[in-house]
Amino acid sequence: MHISQFSLRDFRNYQRIDLQLAPGITLFYGPNASGKTSLLEALFYLATTRSPRSRSDHDLVRWDALGEAGVLPFARVAAEVQRRMSHVRLEVLVQRRADEEGQLTNGAQKLVRVDKRPARALDLVGQLRVVLFTPVDLALVDGPPAERRRYIDITLSQLDPRYVRTLAQYQRIAQQRNSMLRAWRERRRPLRGIDDELAYWDQELSQAGGFLLAERLRAVAELNQIVGPLFCAISGETNPLQISYQASLELDDARTAHDLSQRLSEELRRLRQDEVARGQTLIGPHRDDMSFSVAGIDLGRYGSRGQQRSVTLALKLGEAELMQQRSGETPVLLLDDMLSELDTQRRTHLIAAIRRPAQQTLLTATDLGDFGAAFLAEITRMRVEGGQVYPG
Amino acid sequence: MRPESAIIVEPVARLIEELSKLPGIGPKTASRLTFFLLRAEEGQVQALAQALLAMKEQVHFCSRCFNITVAALCPICQDTNRDQSKICVVEEPLDVLAIERTAAYRGLYHVLHGHIAPLEGIYREHLKIDELLARVRSEPVDEVVLAMNPNTEGEATAFLLLRDLVPLGVRVTRPARGLPTGGDLEWADPETLGSAIHGRREL
Ligand SMILES: [Zn+2]
Repeated sequence: MHISQFSLRDFRNYQRIDLQLAPGITLFYGPNASGKTSLLEALFYLATTRSPRSRSDHDLVRWDALGEAGVLPFARVAAEVQRRMSHVRLEVLVQRRADEEGQLTNGAQKLVRVDKRPARALDLVGQLRVVLFTPVDLALVDGPPAERRRYIDITLSQLDPRYVRTLAQYQRIAQQRNSMLRAWRERRRPLRGIDDELAYWDQELSQAGGFLLAERLRAVAELNQIVGPLFCAISGETNPLQISYQASLELDDARTAHDLSQRLSEELRRLRQDEVARGQTLIGPHRDDMSFSVAGIDLGRYGSRGQQRSVTLALKLGEAELMQQRSGETPVLLLDDMLSELDTQRRTHLIAAIRRPAQQTLLTATDLGDFGAAFLAEITRMRVEGGQVYPG
Repeated sequence: MRPESAIIVEPVARLIEELSKLPGIGPKTASRLTFFLLRAEEGQVQALAQALLAMKEQVHFCSRCFNITVAALCPICQDTNRDQSKICVVEEPLDVLAIERTAAYRGLYHVLHGHIAPLEGIYREHLKIDELLARVRSEPVDEVVLAMNPNTEGEATAFLLLRDLVPLGVRVTRPARGLPTGGDLEWADPETLGSAIHGRREL
């Protein structure tokens, strides 16, 4: 798939831009802090309804955005996405909220439209599929487990609407369950009847959790087929990369959603005392992790910096390949200032990967000197400066 | 503390303060209401004040079903023509009104005054659950209809009640599916709600 048209209004430092985009490679270049990253952020937001860098949506609205008469300030991101057999118009409005006195608060509401019809945020995810690759992702291998869960969740959410919904449901149930456990831990509630009171929440958590686990295990198996050889090609090593899913509970041989739900529910019952003592849900997809190894050696712990970069690159390109295999369409690659972070060999590999036909890639760079003349001759260039984007 | 109280005379400031304690009303709306009342006819203000006091003095919860009433028992509990063998359990008094509007149900009610919501710190001890179980033990009940809202909190409440009610030997039913998931009974249209109550299924 590719984005043919893309517009922003009052998003970050952009007052208004309207861009026509071509399928192949488009390079946005310009000085630091000129807003190159915000362009990719906007597209990532349109694909996932989440910003990769800020937790609160109100940050996305340009600081001096003026609301029209009676309308609170808002940012708008819209794009026209061309798919193999169809096209779709996506639009998200992030509108700031005000308190009763008319003062802007830190709240914001999201209004989504798909083909001009109002839709829920959950329905937007998966319409435009992207793989974002930023220097921050280099922490994927040795960073905290939450980064790796995010990687698999974002991939699967874009592929399967049921995954998005179940993940949201699971997180809600886990929060409720944690509130209950905390109340017992702090002796704010009588300790009798714990099993009866948790029965509903255990059942819901196990059911949603079993589905998420089954989907993640299936994705990891498929990714292993892809990233194993990809890693060898990128790094020049002979042994393939192996991803292992590190579940927070003993899975035995359970692989189906049904069996995994069963396992979760058994373990929750077994851990009752511990969970009450700690005041939180101790097992489930929100506590799982993944590890990466080559020839049995854990690269998160013992890998060189170069190896870790090769793993991250393989994971990101693997994510794109998985999306292509499952949906039959190539996702849009968003590479934020990546090439300057890589050595020649890895950079050559990445450039070869994004040069494939039918692959749309949007990349940012500060310095055109990072690229050869041959490469620059075959791509579209756009200069970013002072909140404007100029062709050439 | 409050700069306006130095400028605005005390009785006005006091009314603004009281009004802004109401849900959904901030200082701005509270001021607007206060100045409206300041200019209103004496009679209108008296009627409002009396309505407020009368509501608080005369209205309370029915001692049997916890619906709102002016007598010891609500009109539904007093009505001996109603089917005494059925209790329909709802979250709020407004849900009783919604179900009554459908004319699809002729039994009694029990109002829980809320639902299980751990994130808001609302648990079974905050709801009229023990009172319901006491009624089922002492009254000639053969069916309990669990008409909680079709959302997570409503489901959690129904699940808990089912576990408590089954050992008491009553039939426990739920309104048929067809109510919009995630919504409130209160806002369902009478026709949909009526057919959901008619088509209730045993749990
Ligand atoms: Zn009553």
